[in-house]
Amino acid sequence: MKLSTKQLTLCAVLTAMALALSYLENFFPLSLAIPIPGIKLGLANIVTLFALYALGAGQALLILVARCLLGAVFAGNVNALIFSLLGGVTAMLVMIGLSRLRGLSVYGVSVGGAAAHNCGQVAAAVLTLGNTAPLYYLPVLLGVSLFTGALTGLIAACLFRALGHTKLWEV
Amino acid sequence: MRMKSSPKLRPNGWDALVAGAVLALAVLCGTLAWAGGGDSGALTAVVSVDGEVTERVALSGLTAPEERTYTHNGYTLHVTFTAESAQVTASDCPTQDCVHTGAITRSGQSIVCLPGRIVIQMEGGGDSDGPDLVIG
Repeated sequence: MKLSTKQLTLCAVLTAMALALSYLENFFPLSLAIPIPGIKLGLANIVTLFALYALGAGQALLILVARCLLGAVFAGNVNALIFSLLGGVTAMLVMIGLSRLRGLSVYGVSVGGAAAHNCGQVAAAVLTLGNTAPLYYLPVLLGVSLFTGALTGLIAACLFRALGHTKLWEV
Repeated sequence: MRMKSSPKLRPNGWDALVAGAVLALAVLCGTLAWAGGGDSGALTAVVSVDGEVTERVALSGLTAPEERTYTHNGYTLHVTFTAESAQVTASDCPTQDCVHTGAITRSGQSIVCLPGRIVIQMEGGGDSDGPDLVIG
């Protein structure tokens, strides 16, 4: 994949933003309301969604993998890497597929991605624990993904609307 | 430089279809989880560490609350078992999700500690020994 300086810079900035959003959501611990391991708002998915439409699937995947690797390094928890990678890549593949359906808006793509992310993380938990107990959490996680996916979809839609008033893409 | 593709920004019926599919999947998984509990036999808490069953605690045999400690992967969980429930009362794991889960009381329910790789899962507790229906 050959990237221009502007594309490379944009990828780096988006990776940093995704990492910052991942850190930021620690201040909104959804697990206090719904005590399920790994449950969160998925704010970093806003960046993935933006990159998918703005830069394409290849660069969006690059940003996602960089975010997962750096996130694991900064958190000092390499064990968490399988969770973020499996969840993130599953979400990305589903969002790539859904974004190619002409009828769907950014909301539908986001909800599908959030649901896929939870499925990927539950699969990672089953593989890590060697136990099918985490499957019991899947119904709740899927239900929650309707709200978290709609929220990230709403923020992404606002972002795209706001960017329509800037000259970012004209340079 | 241009955007690769322009997304639709207003939700529509196709989005509702995706949300409906996710909801249907959630209901299906919930139904399978609810039905697959295996509720025959006495209520038992099955403790697994790193994928291996290490202990089966027959809760119906307990006359008083009993606390047990499980340590793995550098983390220690304090679990209280009663005749009706199992609950992680304290843990030194960073996420504390296992503590926040609270008490589990029904077949199929579980407490998962991902950092410690410890799972406590309920089995049994159904009324299979009793009559199906009493008339008159």
